Amino acid sequence: MFVINCPHCNEPREEEEFHYEGEAFIARPAEPETQTDAEWGDYLFMKKNPKGWHWEMWGHSAGCRKLFVVKRNTANHAIDGAWTLTEARAAYDAEMAKI
Amino acid sequence: MSNLTFNPVMQSPLHHFNLKTKQQHVDGSKGVWANEMPLLGYISLRGNAQNALFTKAAKKALGFALPILPCSLISTSWGCIYLLSPDEWLLVCDRELRTELQQKLEAALVGIHSQVIDNSGGFTTVFVQGKNASDVLHHCTVYDLNALTIGKVVGTTFGKTSVFLHQHNNGYKVIFRRSFADYIWRYLERSALPYDFGIANLGSS
Ligand SMILES: [Zn+2]
Repeated sequence: MFVINCPHCNEPREEEEFHYEGEAFIARPAEPETQTDAEWGDYLFMKKNPKGWHWEMWGHSAGCRKLFVVKRNTANHAIDGAWTLTEARAAYDAEMAKI
Repeated sequence: MSNLTFNPVMQSPLHHFNLKTKQQHVDGSKGVWANEMPLLGYISLRGNAQNALFTKAAKKALGFALPILPCSLISTSWGCIYLLSPDEWLLVCDRELRTELQQKLEAALVGIHSQVIDNSGGFTTVFVQGKNASDVLHHCTVYDLNALTIGKVVGTTFGKTSVFLHQHNNGYKVIFRRSFADYIWRYLERSALPYDFGIANLGSS
């Protein structure tokens, strides 16, 4: 059990109010019909699944019902922050550029 | 075949509990009092709060500016406006007022990216009061009611479903979907058992 700060409701709420919505910023192929089965399969199923910091989406399903981004450590549930999708994008891109 | 005619009757989703026949004058004898505020008007309004055209048009139609702070609500001369999400408001009024309100909004918002829906068949409200009202609600929801200050409305859990909650007249209004009304009422009644539970006569409040 942990607490997430919903950027839309602007206050910390119990985990029970939220749904996990998967890894954040996975780009859907612009032209699915030109993809091979292997490429499409990678898009659907091949997730990063790290032990450590992970950029993921959560939905405030019992509250505002918006999706947003959380940077969470999968090993110890530490949360670095929660942002709207737009706000998180820049920070995500900057971090990915460093890797 | 049959000569029965289709004759629909408007009923509250808690109709089968016969709350009206069980209601009592509120006094200090029970820890918790509750009753339904049946058959109100619920209009769902969606639009972009950053679009000045939208907020101005809505203000003109409603006579009041839309609340835009997260989790905020305002009382109006005709009812209440709740901000449920950054781009979604719920307007609650007397049922008779809802058509006029909806028409005013629709007329004011022509050509502006927005949506007005009469959701009156989809929601109901229960008012919970009494010295143990917050104790009972703490059994039902994960939200910390100490954080639920006046002027604030929150969407949160209630048992396995979800509700909108806010303070009202030394008690709490619980707004929820019609389809979960039976579940929520029973959950509330069961949670209130240790505190002594009464069906309140809400009068005209
Ligand atoms: Zn939220």
